[in-house]
Amino acid sequence: MKDRAQALVREVVPNIYHPYPAFIKEVKEETGDIKTFTLAFADQEIQDRFVFRTGQFVLVSVFNCGEAPFSICSSPTSSKGLELSIKKMGLLTGEIHRYRVGDAVCLRGPYGNGFPLEQLYGHDLLFVGGGIGLAPLRSLIQYVLAKRSEFGRLTLLYGARTPEDIVFEDDLTAWSKEKEVEVVTTVYQANAEWEGNIGPVTNLLEKAAISPSNTKAILCGHPAIISYLVFDLLKMGLAEDAIISTLERNMKCGVGKCGHCSIGSKFTCMHGPVFTYREMKEFPSVL
Amino acid sequence: MHRVLTTCCFCACGCNLYLEVEDGRITGVIPSREHPITRGNLCLKGWHSYEFIHHRDRLQSPLIRRHGRFVKASWDEALDLVTARLLEIRDKYGAESLGVLSSAKCTNEENYLLMKLTRAVLKTNNIDHCARLCHSPSVIGLNNAFGSGAMTNSIAELAGAEVILVTGSNTTEQHPQIARFIFDALAKGARLIVVDPRRIPLSRFAHVYLQPRLGTDVIWLNGMMKMILDDGLADDTFIKMRTENFEAFTEMLRNFNIEDVVTISGIRLEDLRRAARMYASVKRAMIIYSMGITQHISGTDNVQSIANLAMLTGHVEQEWTGVGPLRGQNNVQGACDMGALPGTLSGYQNIADANIREKFENVWKTHLPTVPGLTGIGMFRSAGDKKVRGMFIMGENPALSHPDLRSTRAALKGMEFLAVSDIFLTETAELADVVLPAASFAEKDGTVTSTERRIQRLRKAISPVGESKPDWQILCELSSRMGYPMDYETPAEIMEEIAFLTPIYGGAYYNRLEHGWGLFWPCPNSHHPGTPFLHKGSFARGRGRFEYVRYRPPAEVPDDRFPFFLTTGRIYAHWHTGSMTRRVTALSREGPEAFVEINPKDAKTIGVRDGKPVRVFSRRGDITVKARLTRDVPEKTVFIPFHFAEAPANILTHYHCDPGADIPEFKVCAVRVESVQ
Amino acid sequence: MLGKLILNKEHLSSFLRKIAKEHELIAPVRNRYGDTLLEVVSSVDDISLDLEARPVMPPKGFFLPRVETLFRYQRKDGHYSFKEVLPNVSRVFFGLRSCDLWAILFLDVVFQENLKDRYYLNRRSDTVLINIGCREPMENCFCKSAKSGPFLTQGYDLQFTDLGDRFFVEIGRPRGRELVEKWDYFFRPATSGDRDEQYEIVLEAESKFGQKVDFETAISRFMRYEIDDDLWEELGNRCQNCGGCAYVCPTCHCFDMMDRPVSDTEGERVRTHDACTLAGFTRLAGGHNPRRERGHRLRRRFYHKLPFAQDKYHRPSCVGCGRCVEICFGRVDMIHVIRMVCKKPEGPREASLRLGEILLDAGLISWKELKSTLEKQAGTGKRLGAQLIEDGLATKEEIASALSIQLGIPETEETG
Repeated sequence: MKDRAQALVREVVPNIYHPYPAFIKEVKEETGDIKTFTLAFADQEIQDRFVFRTGQFVLVSVFNCGEAPFSICSSPTSSKGLELSIKKMGLLTGEIHRYRVGDAVCLRGPYGNGFPLEQLYGHDLLFVGGGIGLAPLRSLIQYVLAKRSEFGRLTLLYGARTPEDIVFEDDLTAWSKEKEVEVVTTVYQANAEWEGNIGPVTNLLEKAAISPSNTKAILCGHPAIISYLVFDLLKMGLAEDAIISTLERNMKCGVGKCGHCSIGSKFTCMHGPVFTYREMKEFPSVL
Repeated sequence: MHRVLTTCCFCACGCNLYLEVEDGRITGVIPSREHPITRGNLCLKGWHSYEFIHHRDRLQSPLIRRHGRFVKASWDEALDLVTARLLEIRDKYGAESLGVLSSAKCTNEENYLLMKLTRAVLKTNNIDHCARLCHSPSVIGLNNAFGSGAMTNSIAELAGAEVILVTGSNTTEQHPQIARFIFDALAKGARLIVVDPRRIPLSRFAHVYLQPRLGTDVIWLNGMMKMILDDGLADDTFIKMRTENFEAFTEMLRNFNIEDVVTISGIRLEDLRRAARMYASVKRAMIIYSMGITQHISGTDNVQSIANLAMLTGHVEQEWTGVGPLRGQNNVQGACDMGALPGTLSGYQNIADANIREKFENVWKTHLPTVPGLTGIGMFRSAGDKKVRGMFIMGENPALSHPDLRSTRAALKGMEFLAVSDIFLTETAELADVVLPAASFAEKDGTVTSTERRIQRLRKAISPVGESKPDWQILCELSSRMGYPMDYETPAEIMEEIAFLTPIYGGAYYNRLEHGWGLFWPCPNSHHPGTPFLHKGSFARGRGRFEYVRYRPPAEVPDDRFPFFLTTGRIYAHWHTGSMTRRVTALSREGPEAFVEINPKDAKTIGVRDGKPVRVFSRRGDITVKARLTRDVPEKTVFIPFHFAEAPANILTHYHCDPGADIPEFKVCAVRVESVQ
Repeated sequence: MLGKLILNKEHLSSFLRKIAKEHELIAPVRNRYGDTLLEVVSSVDDISLDLEARPVMPPKGFFLPRVETLFRYQRKDGHYSFKEVLPNVSRVFFGLRSCDLWAILFLDVVFQENLKDRYYLNRRSDTVLINIGCREPMENCFCKSAKSGPFLTQGYDLQFTDLGDRFFVEIGRPRGRELVEKWDYFFRPATSGDRDEQYEIVLEAESKFGQKVDFETAISRFMRYEIDDDLWEELGNRCQNCGGCAYVCPTCHCFDMMDRPVSDTEGERVRTHDACTLAGFTRLAGGHNPRRERGHRLRRRFYHKLPFAQDKYHRPSCVGCGRCVEICFGRVDMIHVIRMVCKKPEGPREASLRLGEILLDAGLISWKELKSTLEKQAGTGKRLGAQLIEDGLATKEEIASALSIQLGIPETEETG
C-alpha cells in the first residue's frame, strides 16, 4: 500500500490552486484608474470549457505579484467572453494596468455562487452601484437585457465620486435607451459640464419609483454605503431576502480552505460573494 | 529537515528560536519553550524572523561604484579598494579623518574585531554605533550613578515585582516578551504605573497612568521624589549605607517647586502622589524605561533622575527591584560591551587610561590612539567641515536612522570614500563607493548580548547566501590587507581573546554557552556562574551617587511657525529602518505604510480626515504621509514612526544633542501639519 | 491478528529502527536544550525519545508546512509554464499525544471537504499515526473536556499505552495493522491480565485530568449571542497580536498565498501559515478592513473554533492541548476565554473588593482598616462604602473622588 496511496492522490485529486495561462484580448480605459480587460485562455480547449454565471469571480495571477479576485463584469451571454474591470490600487493591479493587448496573465475559476437568478425571474430589478461596484452588477444587467422577457422593470441607480470616475459610460447610455429601463447617475463632486444629480447614491433611492412587493434590489459598493441602502430599502418595504449584495473580501485560495474570506460560519468564496440581507444579518459585523 | 537554535535578530529581549532548515534554506522558526524569556512563544516579528533571509534583494556579490552606477566586483577587487582608499585617506589627512560605524545587529566578535581594526590598524578612536542614538544616556547616566550602565536586574524578575513603573517605553509593541512578564506580574496582583506622553497600549493596564508633556521627565521625577521625601517614604537605611551625596541632593530637591509638575509637566498632583505612594510603599518595585527617557537633550539627566528615584526608595541592589533600560537591538548591549564606542575599549575600559591601553597593546602588539574619538553624531557633524572624509559602516543605516536626514545624507554623499557592509542595499549602501555583502544572523556563528546582559549564541544554520561573508571574515580579510593579519579560524577563538582582555566577559567561553541559557555578565572567569542582578551588596562604583538634576526644556519647542510637537518612535510590525521587516510579507501587511498620528481635535482644525495625506514640515524639511486619527496622542502633538523610507520621520528631526551622551533629541521637535488637497 | 498486542519496551528501539529504514520516522525528541520537538529521526540511538512531554509545535507542520511551495512558474516570451512541487514522503509518526493525533484527523476533514487539497493529501496519504495515551496531564491540558484524549477510542492507526515495562498496543485503522503485521515478531497478543492493567491505567489517567473547561455552556452562549462586546474589547486590549495562538494550535490551518519572485523570469507560488488575529488578515486592497478592531478578530477566532465548528463538525475544533494557554501573552487563550464567557456577572462581594482596592491605591485607607472593615461588612451586610463612611474611615466625597478617577466616571450625586 505504501506508494499506491500517494500515487492515487496524484492521479485522482486535481490541483485546485493551479492557474491557467490566459492573454489579454482587449483593454479599455474606463477612468483614470480603472481599466476593463477582455481575457481569453491560451488553451482553446480550456477556453471552450470555461462556463460561468453572473456574479462569479476569477482569481487572476500576475507574474511575481501574486493573485487577486476580480468579479466577472460580463454576462455569459456576452459575445465578448470574459471581462474584468480592475481598479489600480496596489502592486498587482498596478502591474496589470501596465499590460497591453497580447500580454499574458493566469486565471483560475470561476468561483462563487453567482446571482440567484431563480429568485429574480419575473421581478422588477433595482440595481444600486457605487464606483467600481458597478462591475459585478454589469454582468447581471447584461444577462437581464439578453433575456429581457424573463424579468420586469430594470432600474439602475449609479453613483461615482466625480464625472471622470464613472465607469461603463457607453453601457450606461445604451442601457438607458432600452425598454422599461431607467438609469439614474449621480456624482459627489461635479465638474463644469455635469448636468446630472449631485450627491450620494443613497439620495437617488427616494426618487426611484419602485413597487416594493415585486422588486428585488441588487447592491454593490463600499460597505458603508450598503448599510445605508439596506436601511432605506427595508424602510421602503422590501423583504430581507429581496435585498441582495455581493461582498468583497480579501481572498487567497478561492476554494474555502485558507480562511481569509470567512464570514460567519461560511466562506465568501464558496457560499458567496452574493448574499441576501437575511443571510448577512447572521454574520457578526459584516458591513 | 533539521533545526538550529539561535537568538532572534530583532529586539534585545534575547528570545531563542529554532531555525528550521531544509535543503539549505530556512523554512520556518519554532520558539524554544525551555528558554526563560521565550517560554514557548515569539512576538509577531520573531515568528517571521526568517523570511527576509532568502529575499531576492539580498546582496549576493560585492559592488563597486563606477561612473555613478554599481557594478558587480570580486571580493579581491572590493577589499583591495576599501583597503587602499581608507589607508590613503588616513595617510593623507590623518587617522582622525576616518570614521567607523559598527553594528548593533552584528555579533560581539564582529564588534570587537571592528573596534580592534579601527584602533589598531586605522589608528583612530572614531568608532561608534547606534547606541549613540538610543541608550548612550543610559551607559553614561547609570554609570555615573551606579557604576554600570546596564539593566541592573534580570527580565524574569519583573514577574515577582509588586510595582512596576514603565516610562518612555512602549513595552507591548517594542519588547513584547518583557511586557509578557509585566502581564504575569499583573495577574499576580502587581500594580503598574505607566508614564508616557502618548497613550501607549500598555497604559490601558496601568493602575496609574500619567501623561506628561514631551521632554518634561525631570520635572515629574523630581516631583515624585519630593513627594516621597515629604511623605517619609524614603528608605533611610539604604540611603545611609549604600549611597553618597544625598544631603546635597535633598538640599536642592527641597527647593524644587512642586507646582512645576502641574504647570510644566501637565500632570495633576493627586495623580503623581498616587504613583509616588504606590512605587515607594512596597519593597519590590522595578523601573523600566527606554527611548522616551533617553532620546532627549536631557537624556543623561533623565536617566540620573530615574537612578535617583530608585536609590531614594531603596529599589535597587536587590532581587525584584532595579532599573531596566530596555535596549532595542539584538546586540546593542554587546556592541557597547565590546567597546564599539569612541571612549572605551571592550568592557567599558577607558581608552584614555594608560594602563588599560598598555594591557591591550600587549595583546594587540601595536600602539593605540590615545584621544577619545568622535561619536556617530560627531562624525557627521565633522563631515561638514571636512574633518571626517572616509567612513566604513557595518550593518547600520544612518541615511534613515540619523536625525536631520538632509544634512546626514549630504554628509554621506560628501564623503571622499564610503564603504558599507550590509545584507541589503539600504539607503546608506546606495550612497556608498563599495558595498560588501554580509551574511545574515542565520549564516554565521557568534554571540549576542541581550538587554539583561545575557550573552547567548548565534548559531550558523545555512551557508552564507550567494557570495556574502560573515562580517568577522570580512574584517579579518580587510585587516590582513591593511598589514595587520587577523587569523582567527572561528568566532570562538575571537571570544577567547575578548575574554582574556575583558573582565566582565572573562568567563564567556563557547563551551560554557552550549549549556543552560547563556551567561549574565559580569562573568569574570570560567568558574563564575554569571550575575543576573547587579550591584548585589554594593554598587559597582562602591556607593550609588545621588545627583540633583535641573530641568532643561527641549531644544526645539512649538512656536507660531511650527505649532505642533513631533515625537518619533516605532511600531510593532517593523524594526529599525525596515530593511529586514519590510521584506517580510506578514510584517509589511501589518504595517503597510507610513502614517502620522494626529489627535482628532487637531485634525478637525487642520481639516484632515483619517487616511488622507498630510504634509508635515519642520525647519529641516518636509514629508507627505497619511493621517491616522487617534486620541492616543495629546492635542498639538503628532507621532510618526521612523521605519518608512518613503516618508522618513528623520527628515524632520534635528541634531541638537545631549551634551554628555551626544544623543539627538529624536523625541521632541516642532512641526507644522497641513492638509494636502 | 487480534487488535490488542504487547510490545516490550526493550524492543522499542529495534522496532523503530526498522521503521526508520523504510519511512521517515517522526517522534518527539528532547534535544540538548531541553525542548521537546517532533523531529525526523534518522538514527534511533542518538536521540532522547520523550514520550511524556508535549512537543512545542503540533504535527500540523508536517502536513501543512509553515512555508510550502505549491508550484514554480516561468514566463518566457510571454508564455507561462508551471511545475508542481509534490514531495515524496512516507512517514510514521510515533509517540504523538492523543490531542495532536485527533487534530490531524480534524485537518483531514477540513482539507477534504468540498474540494480536496492535493498538497495536503500528498503529504498525508502515506502516513501512519501512532499516539501514546497520556497517563498524567501536563499543565494546561484539557483534552478530557475537549473530548480528544487522554486516550482515544478510534481514529489512530496504532495507540500505545505505557504499562511500565511494556507497551499495550491497540490496532485502529488499516495502516496500523499493516505496520504491525510487517514486524509481527516484535509483538505478542495481549493477555486478559494485560488488558485489565491497561484499563486500570486508562481509568486512572482519566481521573487525573481534572481541568474542566465548559465547552457546552460557552458554545451555547456564543450561539445565543449572549456575549457583550465589552468582553471582546477587553480581550482585544489584552491580545498582543503575536499570532502565536494560530501558529501553535494543532487545528488552526488558515494560510496565506503569495508569489516569491526568484528572478525576472521565474518565481514560486507559496503558501504560509497565517493568523486570523492579525490586522492584515482581512484588509482589502483599498485599505478597508471588515475586522479592523482586534476584539472583532478575536471574536471571529473563537466563533470559528467553538460554535461554528460545533455546528459543522459536531465538536469544537479545539483539542484541549493547552499550547495557547501556555504561551499567550495576554491570557486570551481558550481556557481563559471560555471561563470569561461562562462567568456570571460580578456579585456584590467582588464589587466591594474592587472598591477597597481603589481606596487603598488612593491612599485613603490602610490595609488594616480595609481588612477589619471587610470583616465588619460581612456581618452587617452593608456595602463597603457605607461601612467605611459609618466608621469614619473615609468621607463620601473622598470615595466618590477615588471612584471617579479610577473608573473614569464623572462625579455625580450617585457615585459613592
